[in-house]
Amino acid sequence: MATEEGLVDALRREARGERTLALTLLSAAIAALVLSPVAWILLEASTVGFARAVNLLAGARMVQVLVNSLLLVGIVTGASVVLGVPLAILTSQTNLPFRRFFTVAISLPLVVPSYIGAFAYFTGFGEDGALTAALADAGVAVSLPEMTGLVGTAVVLTLFTFPYVFLSTRASLASFDGTLLEAARTLNHSRTSAFFRVVFPQVLPGIAAGGLLVALYALSDFGTPAIMGYDVFTRILFVNYYDFQLAALLSVQLLAVTAVIIALESAVESGDASGYASSNPDAATRLELGWLKGPALVVCSLVVVAALAVPIVVLVLWLVRDTGQTGFGYAFSWEYGWNSLSVSVLAAVASILFALPVAYNSVTDDGRLSRLAERGTYVGYAVPGIVVGVALVALGSKYAPFLYGQIPLLVFAYVVRFLPQAVGSVRSSVLQVDGRLTEAARTLGHSPRAAFRKVTLPLVAPGIVSGAALVFLTTMKELPATLLLRPGGFETLVTYIWMVQESRHYGKAAVPALVLVGISAISMLVLLSRGGNDVT
Amino acid sequence: MSEDDGPRRRLGRREVLAASATGAAAATAGCVGSIFGDNNSENELSLSDFRGSGPFVSGRPAPDGTSMDDLDDLSGTLSIYIGGGEGGLYRGLIELLQQKYPDFDAQLKSAPSTQLANTIIQESENGNPRADVFWSIDASSLGLVANAGYATSLPSAVTDPVPSELQDSNGRWVGVAGRARAIPYNTNRFSASDIPNKVDAFANQERFANSMGWGPTYGAFKSFVTAMRIMDGREATKQWLQGMLDQGTEEFRDEYFVSRGVATGAVSAGFANHYYALRVKAARENPPIDLAFTENDAGALVNVSGVEIIEGTQRSDLAGLFAEHLLTAEAQEFFATRAYAYPMIAGVQPVGDLPTIDELNPPELDLTELSDLEPTLELMREVGVL
Repeated sequence: MATEEGLVDALRREARGERTLALTLLSAAIAALVLSPVAWILLEASTVGFARAVNLLAGARMVQVLVNSLLLVGIVTGASVVLGVPLAILTSQTNLPFRRFFTVAISLPLVVPSYIGAFAYFTGFGEDGALTAALADAGVAVSLPEMTGLVGTAVVLTLFTFPYVFLSTRASLASFDGTLLEAARTLNHSRTSAFFRVVFPQVLPGIAAGGLLVALYALSDFGTPAIMGYDVFTRILFVNYYDFQLAALLSVQLLAVTAVIIALESAVESGDASGYASSNPDAATRLELGWLKGPALVVCSLVVVAALAVPIVVLVLWLVRDTGQTGFGYAFSWEYGWNSLSVSVLAAVASILFALPVAYNSVTDDGRLSRLAERGTYVGYAVPGIVVGVALVALGSKYAPFLYGQIPLLVFAYVVRFLPQAVGSVRSSVLQVDGRLTEAARTLGHSPRAAFRKVTLPLVAPGIVSGAALVFLTTMKELPATLLLRPGGFETLVTYIWMVQESRHYGKAAVPALVLVGISAISMLVLLSRGGNDVT
Repeated sequence: MSEDDGPRRRLGRREVLAASATGAAAATAGCVGSIFGDNNSENELSLSDFRGSGPFVSGRPAPDGTSMDDLDDLSGTLSIYIGGGEGGLYRGLIELLQQKYPDFDAQLKSAPSTQLANTIIQESENGNPRADVFWSIDASSLGLVANAGYATSLPSAVTDPVPSELQDSNGRWVGVAGRARAIPYNTNRFSASDIPNKVDAFANQERFANSMGWGPTYGAFKSFVTAMRIMDGREATKQWLQGMLDQGTEEFRDEYFVSRGVATGAVSAGFANHYYALRVKAARENPPIDLAFTENDAGALVNVSGVEIIEGTQRSDLAGLFAEHLLTAEAQEFFATRAYAYPMIAGVQPVGDLPTIDELNPPELDLTELSDLEPTLELMREVGVL
């Protein structure tokens, strides 16, 4: 903290020039630009007359969509907590065997993009599913239930997002002050009772934070409900996006639900978790599982099988089964991979260019406008990709026909969605810059610009690189905005998967899906190396 | 997309296309293709390139009709929106065309047909049409665009070879491949004579209780319900749907799965487009499945995959020539042998023992009317099948 204040003061002193204002204005302009899709939605929605709005939204179908969405969010969040919290406790607070292995294996489902998980469950399960057939061939006659509708959507989203709760709960358990537990024990509480009376309230904010991520993911996910045929906001938006007024109204509703979820989470959030972080509890404070050890191992293994083994196995099954006969016209081409690569690089570069002034300015100047500008760029975290896509289709086709259906607009959609990752990354590394170094450079006669280039930039470079990497990797697997905004004749790995999935040429999806899972695994490594619980 | 970078970009792609489409050794085929591509304006493709190698191909007569070689070469860039799940086959044909005509560059965009139809309407309303051609899996989405006023009249060279009931009455779209509604049935459970010649019977005869399968979320099924609603009225359609529900009809994800369910015995019969049964037959050893057709009712609907040219295109000549290509003997043979579709021209026969289109008894119905989908969806939701 001391460093940060020192830096802030130093930078502020230094920046007392006209450059500050220019930089602030630039940041504000960037924020305004990435906020423009949301602004359009609000404007467009406000042009819908009240009577028509009621008519559109109060219809049985739209009410059903709202109910479906809320139901899905509730079930997935609840199930993720039920799954994630005990698993976090088991792997961090008990004497469960293979704790390290399970910790990694239980976190890994995050590397499977949910639409690929949905693809695996939708095509693998059921009477005629690929997995059912393979098991039957192997002499194991089990009838795997069909995965469709609400059940399928909820199962898949839970399996591939509960690690958010798992990780955030583990994090808050790790930062828990172990001495408190000991104090409770001295007050004659049993170990279990002490755990629930002392530990649990302390980790609740952590659980809530993970739950928030899961809830927002479940609400904004497009691919899974679309594959499962379950009508939620995102699916209806995608089907009706050409009706701009309806799309705007639905988006407003979706954003409103998002806001409520965020508000609920911040109500749970308490002050900072206090005290000393005790790393892992030592043997004395570990809960003894006793006879529960066996069942606990079974549960952990089942979760790993369901969330990790099943999708990979189903994809490999499709890979082996793909005879290529029915997929004529859908031949896979590495050109799609190249296209994915190029737009992702463009998105990463553009995001960093946008993030640099915003992050730098937010550290050097804490005026209201600067703070607003920084917050504004975080909009991508809360606004679902389908909403960004729909808004840009409308904006582009109405006001910027030269951009509509072109790569720059697609890249801009990625920037809106993933700029927060870049800003967060760059900002945290800018904060680590020791202001005295910059001052030293200035006393040595360097201009502010030269000082920035020679001292600050090399120091923030790691943040820039990891920010760019994150944007690159999340762009690679982005689905809804890519579907809506890709130019004619331009297919990426993701749109190709979507195309063959829609046309039931499942085998064709195996290669690109496995490639994407691999790429996501790399993005997980980047996240872990950054040491945060950042979300993508 | 400047004129300059067009050919260079296509070169790389065509190497891949040549390799994947013909199945020849990738490297050699690619090289040969591109070398000839630079010097010739046209590559030779034989009939077998179009016909493919399905199980229903051997012993087929040579297709008769206008040959691609009788037409002008396709040349230039064309933006084609391809609507519908079987679009992969259409993409395959376009790849062959690009292989045949090195100067032809098709920019494809695939999505569900209704969505693309609405996209075209939206883009046109904004004065910013992006598609030159809309090639859709069913007539209802073609009708949607045509009725919104964004499809031009097709040249008579395109529409003349096609029977009038398989094109728009105002010449704004034309069918290129037919898809008949059919009753796939399990031959171990039913004989051909057990299958009634009206769909009505399935909703009220005891022997069809708990034995039928359908895919109500599937687009072609919705078009069938739309046809029934237009011909028999809302109330009768509602009763039919309710009747099928009361019969305990089993729901499948789509009509491919309906047909597969019939073959595996999960259900005894079902409602599906005709070609799915052929796909099931092609994939298995003598599965116990056969097709029956009803007569003169919605169940006998012959829908089409068709094309239209989008109003305001700068490339209407190329678009028209492209449409003509889809109705050549080669392309029709392609649809017949690879998609098991009904050919639109007299010189090409449907595969296997399918009845010819003249032997079917489709109802009198202007297919453009199928675009009136919304009341159908309301009705289906009301009954509870959607």
